[in-house]
Amino acid sequence: MSGALSLGHGSGGRLTQQLTQRILSRFGEARFPSASRRPDFQADFQMEDCAFIDAGCGACGSEDDGGGKTAVSIDGFTVFPHDFPGGDIGKLAVCGSANDLAVRGAEPLFLALSLIIEEGLDVAVLDRYMDSAAQAAGEGRVALAAGDTKVVPRGAADKLFITTCAIGRRVSPHVLRTSNLRDGDALILSTAPGRHGAALAAARFGLDAPGLTSDCALLWPALSPLLRFSGLRCMRDCTRGGLGTVLCEWAEASPLGIEVYETSVPADTETAAVCDILGFDPLYLASEGCALAAVAPEQAEECLVALRESPLCRDAAVIGRMISEHPRMVGMRTRIGGMRFVDMPAGELLPRIC
Amino acid sequence: MSGRFTSGGAEAAFEAMRRELEEALRLSGPLTFMEVCGTHTVSIFRSGLRSLLPRGLSLLSGPGCPVCVTDRSEIDRAIELAEKGCLVLTYGDMMRVPGTSGSLLEARGRGADVEVATSAIQALPAARENPDRDVVFLAVGFETTAPATAAMLRQVRSGGIRNLSVLCLHKTVPPVMRVLCSVPGLKVDGFLLPGNVTVVAGEGGYAFLAEAGKAAAVAGFEPEEIMAALVDLVRQAAAGSYRIRAYRTRDVPREGNTTALRLMAEVFEPCDALWRGLGLIPGSGLRLGKDYARFDALGKFGLKSGAGPAEARDDGCQCGKILSGLLTPPECGLYGRACTPLNPAGPCMVSSEGTCGAWYRFNRQEAERWQ
Repeated sequence: MSGALSLGHGSGGRLTQQLTQRILSRFGEARFPSASRRPDFQADFQMEDCAFIDAGCGACGSEDDGGGKTAVSIDGFTVFPHDFPGGDIGKLAVCGSANDLAVRGAEPLFLALSLIIEEGLDVAVLDRYMDSAAQAAGEGRVALAAGDTKVVPRGAADKLFITTCAIGRRVSPHVLRTSNLRDGDALILSTAPGRHGAALAAARFGLDAPGLTSDCALLWPALSPLLRFSGLRCMRDCTRGGLGTVLCEWAEASPLGIEVYETSVPADTETAAVCDILGFDPLYLASEGCALAAVAPEQAEECLVALRESPLCRDAAVIGRMISEHPRMVGMRTRIGGMRFVDMPAGELLPRIC
Repeated sequence: MSGRFTSGGAEAAFEAMRRELEEALRLSGPLTFMEVCGTHTVSIFRSGLRSLLPRGLSLLSGPGCPVCVTDRSEIDRAIELAEKGCLVLTYGDMMRVPGTSGSLLEARGRGADVEVATSAIQALPAARENPDRDVVFLAVGFETTAPATAAMLRQVRSGGIRNLSVLCLHKTVPPVMRVLCSVPGLKVDGFLLPGNVTVVAGEGGYAFLAEAGKAAAVAGFEPEEIMAALVDLVRQAAAGSYRIRAYRTRDVPREGNTTALRLMAEVFEPCDALWRGLGLIPGSGLRLGKDYARFDALGKFGLKSGAGPAEARDDGCQCGKILSGLLTPPECGLYGRACTPLNPAGPCMVSSEGTCGAWYRFNRQEAERWQ
């Protein structure tokens, strides 16, 4: 990596991985000195959506379970356009950070909110985004605990950047993490992937897709019933980089391979139509209310039933499994019975020509 | 648990077609076909069709990815315009193609104004919203995108829009196919023709294929359509009798889309064009005809007109040989090492429909590099 950073470094795929590793390497022992000796914590920091800490003893978790009870995540939101079918930047900022906790079995309780506002933003517009943030927080019973506002000169930001930090309590009896994955685990996807990304792409490129809305939603109510399953290994929400990136990261982080069944992946007609036109693959488009869960095969059916109780997850399905063949790689069994591999996206997704 | 994942009907139907193909190949002996279009290449990989091809049938990817055949000098010109202060609009795939010094994406990173469009028509509002700036549309593509450029230019002309011009890199498919029929060392028994180009251009332009003793079939982009066309290609080759048939769920009129053809004839005229790796091909490009010449960005901004000299640069990039089917990606020394989707050396790795990019993303052997 050299020279100027590109938008590809922010797109969640291979380049983002390189950038994150570059930053982390500079902190070394300086990040959580008391915990830096814990190999689990190191791995979690790279791989998982939120961290478990224990502020009481100034450490990152107790020795027995590999993590404290307090969960923390942080996320910046710079979405364009700020308004999209199914939500806006305010709602997204709350759901995004809260979901990072939910997928690790932690209930989101508090929110810290930082706004970077461009000079000239209409105060009525700001009100609207804060109203939808407040509404999402209210629905999720997440309390605003701390906040900050900055106004920067025109041109120094694009209308509004929001950063949220979610703080919560770990509810799952065991720590959910990628290293729990076992051969034969079933992979359950909560809904059709890519709707958020497709809705944004349609808005950005001026495509008319009347039925298409972002899936932006709080996942905690849908995912919390899964925590009672002892065979639940780990979960991730398929945000930046999409389902494809989550699958690749799981495969690369374990000594196992992943097999995905194309026809089992829930599909959304409108998302597929937008992808057809722009040459995108729903597999790599962001979702903001879609999670992948890995669970022991004998509990997969029960898990699926529990998940489908939520209106967000009616289409939930087992889409694949962890296997011992082709380790560290994701293979897809296609509709016609063929086989192909799923790779991480390389950079910024750009629409194709014809 | 595995039983739950069978896709039933589609898989069984496809297996039947595969057996048909195997049967036909027993009569013909080993054959090599070229899929001309990048969208076919991607579909063949993405659908897993490639993993189901019977022994004795090889598929090569051809020059039908507009991004891949764009010469470095053409990217350089677009960057030059953007750095002169023009607002440059182009299709997303073009952003990452390296010119002699960097890509449009890198130019944008340095502050140049380059925007992604999905259709030529989007240049019109861009020109309206930026009345004080020169807007340039980088027009790329084959018969599929040329009509949209023509329609846009007609509106520019009739609407008296002065700040919008076109850097026209359009190319047409039949002339390059004619060249491929006579590339020394290229052994191809037939061609899989793209449905979308043929819808516009008609089949008439491909009559020379039969005369050259090449099988040809038109197919849509669904794996079933491609498979049906492959069966037909094998049978044509086995029988030694060639006639173009179409395998599409949508009908292809033999004469093409006459409205689009008329529009193109009004706006463009044929010219010689430089194809990356293949060199100058007479009559294979489209430039603006005399009624539209004033909207040509080359003239408007005093850039060197016409095709530049063929590339002399030798950096090991084998895109030219890949585009003409003489090499497959793993046979290129840079592939997967000095040339990856993150650091592409040539356009075949850049484009989402490029041959090398498709191999890299979907091919089993290559995926094994992560082991």
